[in-house]
Amino acid sequence: MIEFERFKLKNGLTVLFHKDVTTPMVVINTLYDVGARDESEDKTGFAHLFEHLMFGGSINIPDFDAPLQNAGGESNAFTSNDITNYYDVLPAHNIETGLWLESDRMLSLAFTEKSLEVQRNVVIEEFKQRYLNQPYGDVWLELRPLAYEKHPYKWATIGKEISHIENATMEDVKAFFHKHYNPSNAILCIAGNFELEEIKRLVEKWYGDIPAGIKPARILDKEPKQKEFREQIIERSVPSDAFYYAFKMPERRDPAYYIVDILSDALGREKSSRLYVSIKKEKQIASSISAYITGSLDDGLLIISGKLNPGKTFEELDEALWEVIDEMKKTTISKEELDRLLIKIRTEKEFQEEGLLNRAMNLCTFELLGDANGINEEREIYQSITPKHIHHYANEILKQTNCSLLKVKAINNAE
Amino acid sequence: MLNRSQQPELQAIHKIDFVKPQQFDITSTVKLYFMKEVANDTARFDLYFDAGTVKGEKGIPSFVNSLLLSGTQDKSSTLIHEQIDALGGFMESGISFESAVTSMFCLRENVLPLMHILIDAIQNVAFFEREIDELVQDKKQGYLMNLEKVSFLAQRGFQQRLFHTSENYSKVANLDYYETVSSSKLKSFYRENYLEGLFKVVVVGNLEQDAIDEIIDTIGKWSKPTTREFETNIQNLPGNTHIEKEGAVQTAIRLGKILFNKTHEDYNDFVVLNTVLGDYFGSRLMSNIREDKGYTYGIGSMLSEYNKFGYFMIATEVASAFKDATLKEIKFEIEKLQTELISEDELALVKNYLLGQLLKSADGPYSMMDLYSSAQIHGFDFEFYNKCIEDLHKITPERIKELAIKYLNWDEMTIVTAG
Repeated sequence: MIEFERFKLKNGLTVLFHKDVTTPMVVINTLYDVGARDESEDKTGFAHLFEHLMFGGSINIPDFDAPLQNAGGESNAFTSNDITNYYDVLPAHNIETGLWLESDRMLSLAFTEKSLEVQRNVVIEEFKQRYLNQPYGDVWLELRPLAYEKHPYKWATIGKEISHIENATMEDVKAFFHKHYNPSNAILCIAGNFELEEIKRLVEKWYGDIPAGIKPARILDKEPKQKEFREQIIERSVPSDAFYYAFKMPERRDPAYYIVDILSDALGREKSSRLYVSIKKEKQIASSISAYITGSLDDGLLIISGKLNPGKTFEELDEALWEVIDEMKKTTISKEELDRLLIKIRTEKEFQEEGLLNRAMNLCTFELLGDANGINEEREIYQSITPKHIHHYANEILKQTNCSLLKVKAINNAE
Repeated sequence: MLNRSQQPELQAIHKIDFVKPQQFDITSTVKLYFMKEVANDTARFDLYFDAGTVKGEKGIPSFVNSLLLSGTQDKSSTLIHEQIDALGGFMESGISFESAVTSMFCLRENVLPLMHILIDAIQNVAFFEREIDELVQDKKQGYLMNLEKVSFLAQRGFQQRLFHTSENYSKVANLDYYETVSSSKLKSFYRENYLEGLFKVVVVGNLEQDAIDEIIDTIGKWSKPTTREFETNIQNLPGNTHIEKEGAVQTAIRLGKILFNKTHEDYNDFVVLNTVLGDYFGSRLMSNIREDKGYTYGIGSMLSEYNKFGYFMIATEVASAFKDATLKEIKFEIEKLQTELISEDELALVKNYLLGQLLKSADGPYSMMDLYSSAQIHGFDFEFYNKCIEDLHKITPERIKELAIKYLNWDEMTIVTAG
């Protein structure tokens, strides 16, 4: 059970406080309800570029990092298609430095040309390092637009193309900040050994006078129901052929989300999973194979991906893979297999909650979903899932007409 | 009115409350370290083997490490994994130059049954041909994929030149590794370094003493006294090397030299110098090469430690057009540390940052155990970190400059680029 308190400031900022008497540190986690899905199609990669700019100095503080490091702390952030999340971890007695820094960059940024110019370059190098200069690094840049036709999940957080980042202007940056970075669009979680009253006083002190702003309405293009099988082959200079089967699945708030999560585990999470045993161990068609879900807030994807063994073909794989899927659709899984999947999930969750930072981040995510207490309800939801549920959604999700397949064909083998 | 331009007052750290793990003798040389202070139901145990990559040739140590759960005469590898999964266990296996470790993450109620499954699997590996073939094939694929990465190529070239005088440390994988594997070689390495090579056990989790006794009892039957020996006096080969990689959009840089570990008298102060130069977000290298020039997504320096030595390294991936410019800036930053005194402000910031990081490293039972382990390897206790705190409060700008001159001589560096 993760205990927490919730209060709201007049400007709309939602605050969660999680008390942990054992830690000498404090975590200050800020979730902004903005991600790559909120970008316009001709200016992609913006939410993420913006995350970099948040470290380039704020209205009253020229340098974000140095004062935090002086307080013995460190900070980082990540951007997904759904959210942008910032965290600071510092010795508890220096909590005010963290609040001072975070509240000032919520108030306003410095918006210097130098910072924009440098971070554009840094992000372009990140684009190259993670997506272009790695074998299979660009797979998601290809798979997203194949699986999504309308919804902004069709581009990756890094952006559709480097030119969108190169062309970002200071006006774009300012407009993005004013629209999305205000108290009513943020959830703050503080975790550490404090009293609630002290946290209330400190948060009011540092955040209370930030103008409320308006929580931006989110009207996204709804992804139409997929009705046909899609397939694309790309040729790359990689050592082996690779495959990515992407099936549409329900959004994060849908109870079926959890069922499909377990379905993906049954298919390909561990070395005892069905695809791994059949396609890697028994038939030796693939050198690696796994199944997982993207975990996105809107309609997501269940992915089956892996690499072919030398001499094996996509056709052999396809036949063997659908055999495993058809078996999953025909029969219900045993109680024993389901228990095996559930205890892994329980163990994993217990480990996640061991860390203070994870607790703070997860509380914010669940609050965004509607209620931070969701963190405490997840286990029961998983435990209530039956073989019948899984059988139903196996038939619902694992269909050709709900599938997009990306094949990466290896050319110029290094051998 | 709130003054937002003024940083709130800071408090410095003078003391950290370390929690020492309990220590038990399994044999005269094999010890078990036990950290009981865990607030929830998680647990972990680690088995350390004297089976690092320097102990064998042609990838054999790494193959054996990956085959530990490949099946026994009684159980297939799939059955072993099913049993581990049924108890919610997450197994991780890792290998470095000087040791191999197998870790199990699980709920505390499952520690004992998982330990019995794991020990049975590791003690009775059958080395089935089919499993060996599959693994070698997979590793070969992984190797071919790595060859496509400039970071791998640079790291590999760096390793060859950094450990220039040592055959064991400088050897790197090549295609030949995957063609010449014989089960007899695997088996003999396994007998020598796993069946007789267990040298340390770590347990973290809120377990009763009975459980610890059972672990000691079970492992006590297995482990033999071992004496571990390591090479000393390894020297790096200074100078520049470039590895050409067609079509690469970035160039990877690795630069460094052989240095020392925690046992050296200059270690604590060198850690401060290393941090100033490249081991935190506000470091000189990050400020200059990422935040000012935008040549890279990241650049860092580190001190890597082994039983008898350590090495210093700077690593980055940069836009290919900026390879030479980056090397020039790295040299510039090092020379600046050798010629100009660091300001009191910057030094104070790094001290405070390091103290905060140390406090964080001691937050929670898992971090605390790992922190203890990294001192224990060198024969120290938490006293080591108390000395660290003391030294941190004492270090001067003159001392930083002195160490930069003493240890960061550009002409002694091994420099490898790939791109």
